[in-house]
Amino acid sequence: MNGTKEKKLNIWNLSTFIIMAFAILFIIYPLVLILYKSVISGSGNLSFAYFTKFFQKKYYWSTLINSFKVTIVATVISTLLGLMMAYLLRSIVIAGNKYLNIMIVMSYLSPPFIGAYAWIQLLGRNGFITRILNTFLPVKFTGIYGFAGIVLVFSLQSFPLVYMYTSGALKSLDNSLVEAAESLGCNLWDRVRLIIVPLVTPTLLASSLLVFMRVFSDFGTPMLIGEGYKTFPVMIYGQFMGEVSTDDHFAAALCVIIIGITLLLFFLQRFLSAKFTYSMTALKPMEAVKIGGVKNILVHLLVYGIVFVAILPQLTVITTSFLKTGSGGLYTGGFTLENYYNTLLSKNNNSAILNTYLFGFMAIVIVVVLGIIIAYLSARKRSFFTSTLDTLTMLPYIIPGSVLGIAFLYGFNTKPLLLSGTAIIMIISLSVRRMPYTIRSSTAIIGQISPSVEEAAVSLGCNELQSFLKITVPMMLTGVLSGAIMSWVTLISELSSSIILYTSKTQTLTVAIYAEVIRSSFGNAAAYSTILTVTSILSLLIFFKVSGKSDISI
Amino acid sequence: MSVAINIENVVKRFGKDTIINGLSLNIKEGEFFTLLGPSGCGKTTLLRMIIGFNSIEGGEIKLDEKLINNIPTNKRNMGMVFQNYAIFPHMSVKDNVAFGLKRQKMSKKEIDEKVDEILKIVKIDHLKDRMPVKLSGGQQQRVALARAIVIHPEVLLMDEPLSNLDAKLRVEMRNAIKRIQQQIGITTVYVTHDQEEALAVSDRIAVMNGGVIQQIDTPKRIYQRPSNTFVATFIGQSNILDGQVIKNNSEEGIKIFDAFFAMTNLSKNCTNMEDVKVSIRPEEFILSMDNKDGIKGVVKSSVFLGINTNYFIELENGKEIEVIQASDALEAIPNDSTVYLKLQTEKINVFNNEGTNSLIEGV
Repeated sequence: MNGTKEKKLNIWNLSTFIIMAFAILFIIYPLVLILYKSVISGSGNLSFAYFTKFFQKKYYWSTLINSFKVTIVATVISTLLGLMMAYLLRSIVIAGNKYLNIMIVMSYLSPPFIGAYAWIQLLGRNGFITRILNTFLPVKFTGIYGFAGIVLVFSLQSFPLVYMYTSGALKSLDNSLVEAAESLGCNLWDRVRLIIVPLVTPTLLASSLLVFMRVFSDFGTPMLIGEGYKTFPVMIYGQFMGEVSTDDHFAAALCVIIIGITLLLFFLQRFLSAKFTYSMTALKPMEAVKIGGVKNILVHLLVYGIVFVAILPQLTVITTSFLKTGSGGLYTGGFTLENYYNTLLSKNNNSAILNTYLFGFMAIVIVVVLGIIIAYLSARKRSFFTSTLDTLTMLPYIIPGSVLGIAFLYGFNTKPLLLSGTAIIMIISLSVRRMPYTIRSSTAIIGQISPSVEEAAVSLGCNELQSFLKITVPMMLTGVLSGAIMSWVTLISELSSSIILYTSKTQTLTVAIYAEVIRSSFGNAAAYSTILTVTSILSLLIFFKVSGKSDISI
Repeated sequence: MSVAINIENVVKRFGKDTIINGLSLNIKEGEFFTLLGPSGCGKTTLLRMIIGFNSIEGGEIKLDEKLINNIPTNKRNMGMVFQNYAIFPHMSVKDNVAFGLKRQKMSKKEIDEKVDEILKIVKIDHLKDRMPVKLSGGQQQRVALARAIVIHPEVLLMDEPLSNLDAKLRVEMRNAIKRIQQQIGITTVYVTHDQEEALAVSDRIAVMNGGVIQQIDTPKRIYQRPSNTFVATFIGQSNILDGQVIKNNSEEGIKIFDAFFAMTNLSKNCTNMEDVKVSIRPEEFILSMDNKDGIKGVVKSSVFLGINTNYFIELENGKEIEVIQASDALEAIPNDSTVYLKLQTEKINVFNNEGTNSLIEGV
């Protein structure tokens, strides 16, 4: 500014370097370590043996094929479902659509593996619905496991994401385009096919790729409901945590493979969204119209049916949390509060709840503070370092949770970086995982604040730091706060990195649920899940209150 | 090919609000017909009833003798140009224009020919393969127009098509629209709130207010012989002064303050000493400083506008009026000068005291 090249140590440079150090330590270092381990043999030589081992043995590479199969099928189904639901709810007046909206969001917010475990309760070998079916089916139904089960859980769990994005896109779609097509002779089906679908395609692509990444890297669901059908993340977990034999280097190589795949997907998404974007000025947004007669009843049945199936896992979990269980997880009939007594009040078990709240809260504080600063730096103080920082902190976006967990364990299990087993490593891993989302939303919020507002403050006598703290931060606050609430809801349902990093002292709710399910202690699992669900619902209600919105973007 | 549009007693309700209550209108075949009025007057509502985006709660709309009330929009064969053009952003210019033809199951060759032909007519044939993002507002407008007329609609509807363009382009486009409409000879209904635009393009204009048609006439008649004070003040500018009819054996005319102006075209229904509203356009005054008869006033301020000079003059009762005079070589009349105003009596309009009916013979 004053023309000299003298480097001044101001607050912005300082924070850039501190955050940079943080990013290098907790993002770059663990990743590099993984990469290093994957190509260095046990004896210390450069070797690609681990990769060849993977691609030579069908036992290994077939899991990758399996992963692609379930992921593609589940992505296609959830994209179609999400599009259909978004269009129906935007174009037709549906009674109670506000509540439907909340229920759809709710079904998305609970961790997928809870869906898997709930569906086992319903459609598993000994499930509630299975038993009813088998009373009158000629052929014995043996339960929904393997491919079908995984696809069922993921489709129902992921379509809400497509729904939320598409619903937003439909809102900004100018209805006169649809009317123009109508005046040019298009019937309803043609209007949907030729105008609406092509125009929301960029959004559909973006959201279906998100679904793809999420489904592809999730391990809890296939672990529980997959049985013989092994997917790639399940194998990574097995190689790393396996009871039979574990091979750090091989597990590292698997991590590198999955990062490679998600990286490709990430660039594919970038490429596609740059290619298909239409700027639209929604002069007249689409208005939901009332329809009558049989059609109306059918649409209501369809929409309510899908939403019901989507939240059925939650309902199942809540119901079973009040049921008496005997040994082996069998329900003995009758209602009880025993499960809550065992989870909430028993000294051994309630730490999971406290941990979840504590870790989630700490992680939120970290991501929000860092998120605002990083977003501000990359938006307003653009330099080589700040844009590098921006890119670095986006990296976790493409790293599956279990990979991050493994990388952290490799990186921080020896002195001087001995963090494994502590609460700190849990909190940091949560923060790192959520960081890209927070930075993105904060950048969007900053983008809406005109720099001239800060300049006005400076012209009135504030220094830069004061104008940042007194003008920019308060203006961002509502947006950041509602973003933080959504982050919180996502964090408390995080499983894939926590399951790798936890110890008995740092167990969280999701880990506890998972452990209880594995132990067939379904009563406790249901009670924990219900506590998680109730927390999410309350957070969601606070979100609506804070943001004043009725829509959600994640 | 062209059709007449007969609108009889149509009613439009949104929920409990009645926007249009029994409106009738006949639009002749091949006519360029404009619905003009302030925002919220129901003009767009009426247009959307004609094309079918709005339902009709009562009455009938017919194309010639064919009742169209219950025909869905996509079967009505009407072209529409939207306020924001509604160009499909994911299709090239050519695909936008061909869109309606493809619905008609035409052969590819035929479609290409028609598209080329219409693009030449609207003069954007060189932009055939462009995507809409790369078009200017005026070009998008031409695409929208081409897309609407290429399907050979029976009726062309335009909803404030020029309101998003800048002033210069607006004049250029309205001339283009008029030219193309004449070339094709299609019955056109045009909605605008811009009176100058309406006067420039229309064969006939319906001035609307509050869901009711105030006057249907040619642009010239609408401007010169408005049928009530709403039309007189909405179309162009008019000063409305209180006056009295003087009608006796020796003279016939109106009196404003103490000045008498003889008139020959007053309606036979006027009675002597009847209170009336006199509507005088700024250019219908004759301003004089020396001649002591006429309406007395004091110049408060003036604005030099090149050809003309506008004067703001306060009358004896405190009312301020606007007067336009050709700028002459001499200096403008200084502020605070006392002036006397005479009227071009053959041009002024007289209304009953409520302002609802014209008291000019033949209006």
